[in-house]
Amino acid sequence: MIPHDILTLYSAKMLEYGIAILFLLLFIPFWRFSQSTATALATARAAVPARKKAESGWFPVPADRLFHQGHAWARPDSDGLVTVGLDGFAARLVGPLASVALPQVGSKVGQGERAWRLMTDDGQGVDMLAPVDGTIAAINTDLAKDPDATIADPYGKGWLVRVRPDRLRANLTNLLTGQAARRWMDETVAGLQARLSPGLGALAQDGGVPVSGMARVIDAANWHGLARTYLLTSEKEDGRA
Amino acid sequence: MSSDARALPARGWVTDKLFLGLSLTDYLKSLLTPGTIIAGLIMAVGIPVIIYRFAYGLGAATNLSQTNPWGIWIGFDMLAGVALAAGGYTLATSVYIFGLKEYHPIVRPAILTGFLGYLFAVLGLTADLGRPWNLPVPLFISWGGPSVMFEIAWCVVLYLTVLFLEFLPPVFEWLGWKKALSLANKTTIGLTVFGVILSTLHQSSLGGLFLMAPTKLHPLWYSPFIPAYFFISSIAAGLAMVIVESGLSHRAFKSRVDHHVDVDKLVVGLARGASIVLFCYFFVKLQGVADGDRWHLLGTGYGLWFLVEIVGFVLVPSMLFAWGARNRRVTLIRWTAAWTVLGIIVNRLNVSVIALNWNAADRYVPSWMEVTLSLTLITIGISSFRWIVNRMPVLNEHEITGRHHA
Repeated sequence: MIPHDILTLYSAKMLEYGIAILFLLLFIPFWRFSQSTATALATARAAVPARKKAESGWFPVPADRLFHQGHAWARPDSDGLVTVGLDGFAARLVGPLASVALPQVGSKVGQGERAWRLMTDDGQGVDMLAPVDGTIAAINTDLAKDPDATIADPYGKGWLVRVRPDRLRANLTNLLTGQAARRWMDETVAGLQARLSPGLGALAQDGGVPVSGMARVIDAANWHGLARTYLLTSEKEDGRA
Repeated sequence: MSSDARALPARGWVTDKLFLGLSLTDYLKSLLTPGTIIAGLIMAVGIPVIIYRFAYGLGAATNLSQTNPWGIWIGFDMLAGVALAAGGYTLATSVYIFGLKEYHPIVRPAILTGFLGYLFAVLGLTADLGRPWNLPVPLFISWGGPSVMFEIAWCVVLYLTVLFLEFLPPVFEWLGWKKALSLANKTTIGLTVFGVILSTLHQSSLGGLFLMAPTKLHPLWYSPFIPAYFFISSIAAGLAMVIVESGLSHRAFKSRVDHHVDVDKLVVGLARGASIVLFCYFFVKLQGVADGDRWHLLGTGYGLWFLVEIVGFVLVPSMLFAWGARNRRVTLIRWTAAWTVLGIIVNRLNVSVIALNWNAADRYVPSWMEVTLSLTLITIGISSFRWIVNRMPVLNEHEITGRHHA
């Protein structure tokens, strides 16, 4: 015969009720924690002043970056070097990337001159212009493993090179920052919206960020040409230069 | 008859559809990659092992015995395989029944993973059955209505058929059969509803099998709730497997994926779902311990292993999924998903192998041939997935349509 202890059974049941109540109490905050995003990201941004972002419609325009109109950014650092990358617009325009061909350490780059190449899956490349003059002091070697970091985090892990500037003060006068940068980005986005295909338009109505590879959405046949136009590296742009 | 005239179009079809537009020589050369060579080596060892098992029987090929009649072919191939194939019904239900349309781009790969998962689970089961040629008996000849096995047998057969039918649209698109495609698309809702009913039944019944073994299964894993454990954990397994599969596919088939889809955003959404399911699963498992009053067993060796399972493979990934989704850390989410997949495998092996017959003197350790056969089935499964994805519009639904427009 199985011994039956009513008190043991009762305490086990109490524990089960206790676990059920604990679950219900924890479930609500856990649900709120796992399902929310905006608050957490806002807190994270506030906690990291260097990553302060001033939203410009679809694309962030961080207040601490200076922008070249070829969609590269520059950030003078405290050690005298300038960190350089491509902005969120360029990343989403061209992406996803097979690789990024960066200049070698020690080589020279010039403001407004071709400096690196974004390579896509189909083996074609899109060149981009350097935002400052100087010598390459370091390159982001992590991009060899994860070139799409330039899309996922263009202002953080997706940085491209660090440059020892030759004439930073003169270069800075040609770069956009603050309100001017936001206005320029807004105008670029407005121009893009005018060319949008219905597919991308639906995304915009959703309030989401445009998909990676926007140029392909707009003009699948000649998207490289379109990307080069926006990044100021088309042959027409070269001729004008 | 003009046999030559017929042969020409046929050769074009074969070249275009099967050899990816390459000549046979070029196609064979393109197969010489490290991945296919490794897969070929595994199959070169594994296929003779499969033949050996069917030629000489279970006794010669396995370490199974009367005490331990179930080994890794049940624990890994069948139980873990079916759980990890749950992405098919999880995603199809989310999209077609709950209306979460944004996940539509990852339904096809999820259904393909599900179909291949079930198919190879059934093949693993066939290897495990002493007399596989008797399989039709419980299905058609001698019904055992009250048996859990009866329900599982019918459910798996029906659901494998449902998954096959659910996967037909990309096959018809590939073949260019427009009328058949239109018909197949019309059956989607019906198949999805049928699929989720069948999955609810057999995912839980696979756990229900162990209700018959209260004295064999360690008390920490045995619980009257075990069918619910299997069902709830299958949802988490399905979501985690879809995250893992989408990450690997987008890496391996870069040129085939639809670049207009922000997969990272979908992965974050799946992680939110997985975090909630695992959170609930943890507390239901805790209720099982409380219900059976097994707290005193937690300090034993098996108890510590049980804690590793429910804390390390359930609670911790639940928290990591939640944190990753909240902060949009897609890489963390993908690693957590892989960890969860491992956790589901650990759980199914715990229930069916490690904690089963835990107090018996005769302990089961799989033979090298059992391991090889399982590895071979996985390899054939992955190779099949690759073969299909390289030809049919699975990762990019608009691929073929777009080509026609161009």
